[in-house]
Amino acid sequence: MCGIAGIARRYPTGVSVESLGRMAAAIRHRGPDGYGFYVGQRVGLAHVRLSIVDILGGAQPLTNEDGQIVVTYNGEIYNYPELQRELEDRGHVFRTRCDTEVLVHAYEEWGVDLLKRLNGQFAFAIYDRIKEIVFIARDRFGVRPLFYAQPRGAFLFGSEIKALLASGEVDPALDPRGVDEVFTFWAARPPRTPFAGIASLEPGTYGIWKDGALWLNRYYELDYPEAAEEPRDVIEQLDELMLRSVGLRLRADVPVGAYLSGGLDSSITASLAASASPHTLRSFSITFDDPNFDESDFQREVAADIGSIHAATAIGANSIARSFPEVLWHTETPLLRTAAVPMYHLAKLTRESGIKVVLTGEGADELFLGYDLFKEVSVRRFCLRNSQSLGRQRLLDRLYPYLMAEGKGGELWRRFFLNAGQPSDPLFSHLPRFLLSARVKDFYSPEFKGRLAGIDVLGELRASLPVRFFGWSSLNQAAYLEMTTLLSPYLLASQGDRMSMAHGVEGRFPFLDHRLYEFASALPTGSRLRGLREKEILRRWAARILPTRIKERQKQPYRAPDAPSFFGPGSPDWIREQLSPEALRRVGIFSPAAVQGLVRRCNAGLATGYRENQAITGVLSTQLWHQQFLEQAVTTAPLSVKNASVILTEGVPALS
Amino acid sequence: MYNSESEIISRVRYFVQENFLYMHTSFQLGDDDRLLEKGVMDSMSIVEMISFIESEFGVQALEDEISEENFGSLSGIARFVGGKKLLRAS
Repeated sequence: MCGIAGIARRYPTGVSVESLGRMAAAIRHRGPDGYGFYVGQRVGLAHVRLSIVDILGGAQPLTNEDGQIVVTYNGEIYNYPELQRELEDRGHVFRTRCDTEVLVHAYEEWGVDLLKRLNGQFAFAIYDRIKEIVFIARDRFGVRPLFYAQPRGAFLFGSEIKALLASGEVDPALDPRGVDEVFTFWAARPPRTPFAGIASLEPGTYGIWKDGALWLNRYYELDYPEAAEEPRDVIEQLDELMLRSVGLRLRADVPVGAYLSGGLDSSITASLAASASPHTLRSFSITFDDPNFDESDFQREVAADIGSIHAATAIGANSIARSFPEVLWHTETPLLRTAAVPMYHLAKLTRESGIKVVLTGEGADELFLGYDLFKEVSVRRFCLRNSQSLGRQRLLDRLYPYLMAEGKGGELWRRFFLNAGQPSDPLFSHLPRFLLSARVKDFYSPEFKGRLAGIDVLGELRASLPVRFFGWSSLNQAAYLEMTTLLSPYLLASQGDRMSMAHGVEGRFPFLDHRLYEFASALPTGSRLRGLREKEILRRWAARILPTRIKERQKQPYRAPDAPSFFGPGSPDWIREQLSPEALRRVGIFSPAAVQGLVRRCNAGLATGYRENQAITGVLSTQLWHQQFLEQAVTTAPLSVKNASVILTEGVPALS
Repeated sequence: MYNSESEIISRVRYFVQENFLYMHTSFQLGDDDRLLEKGVMDSMSIVEMISFIESEFGVQALEDEISEENFGSLSGIARFVGGKKLLRAS
């Protein structure tokens, strides 16, 4: 796992190595083990390296034999040995045994069609000097990030937005629509970002930049060809896919560890890794001082069961507030939840323990319908078929026992869900969440509301849905929305890639193997959510490898304290400063009067609901984000050419 | 302490404005406005509202009584609280 950046010019006017050095320096945390540059008249590429595969031979940028194909690449192609053999059979000669070189030869052999052959998580740029094109691509589910901008006819790209800003060629500006999407979906919806003029390459998409124009194409589409019945050997198929997926993701020249939340998904990945790893597995967890969020009993139980060497990082009363500014520097977007912060500390612990690759359980809830939201869809539809039935409505109480004080909700509480849209609305499944998140907009300043006049982000999402969406079952529609609006732009980004890479730790996601996704998406939804039993088939299969108590454990959503983290004794000074009327007026997004009311409620410990917790997190994160990226220039001293592992120029084809 | 429906409405309105509408200072809440439909309350603030009513007016709301009719508007709340007080007095 690494970081990449680059600049391409329409005319061969030169790319300065200093610009590339600044871009690389801005993302050095992604690749602390080395860096390199390709510097040409038309195109320049930069790479910062986290060495995991072929430690000695894998420096980048890397070229083919004659130096006409140059690549800078971030990620893992797990099936690279198989691809290498296939390419060698076709006459390609390899100089290294690292997956980067597979990309070069695969591009020579298959062009952009190589993407369909890759099993992995990646973002890369290939400069084809013969065709004078830059080919960029991103993996199917958006595990690895890639951002780009096209200022004044140039094309700049990078693993993180700060690389673009550090170039000095991209001016930071706020995109009101992108910010409004954050306050609806929890993240801007790719290709949009909260920055005007900076786009995120959509998952499963590639782009060709030539003569000053970028052409985008999708090479992978999510689909749900739901079967009427399970295949007879469904458990055997799942077993083979899980073992294969974990086995592929253990391929590394360094020890691979595992994150362990104590829930079903990470217990599965950790357990399989412990069985297949040549090393004693190292496992890592987050614990919370607040017992409402803590899962340490389950974590210790799984660690003991699989025999891992376990370590945990404790999140105390002020941990979140203290780290929040650093976390915002890495997420590069306002946030509605603080859940990224513990992930930041977890990665820090992992790296300090000498581990730079971890398996995690992300993706299982999306593939196997694990979230409460999926049950909620089923129950809401069931209730609306007979809206007078109290018995049906009482099922809603069972969905959120941790939110519901016993007997304090009644019909009125249920009405909130039942009134949140009709089944005929394509966003039916997500409207309760979207509408609840959008309550943060109650705190917008009148001026910012004015800038959003005529913008309807829900309408835009509806309009963007593919035709095939309307042929899927309601649960599969919900799964698609979850994959596209939350998994990639938020979970894998703000809580995933950006937190782990802040400390040079690579996350690997066995559930996001595309073959496993395709297997799950073709199953009857009843195999994934049976009644109110989530991840049914996964539990059936997991009986082979996990203790019953873990296998049958009810899903506990991963949450972290929000409003209480920022108030009370020991609260850092930056919070008071950012919430001052002057600071709020300077940024202009939130109304100082409204925020003062919110602060009063937070200080009194009255901000217990979603709206106010999300609002205070949203306000604080937006203020920090604005200060760090829009008010201050991203300035970094360029990485020096002298210490680069690789420096290639147009006249030097080989590795230096 | 709160004898008439209008006194109850006035007290609840103040609570709602202080706690749920402080970010909308110009919002005028009518006695019969639907609190959920108007977006005044969300799922968690229902719990907060009921706790307030129980402690402020000394009445208990049973689960079956937490309905749109009883808690969905200021006037509904006043009728519910008034009815409970009458019941207790008798």
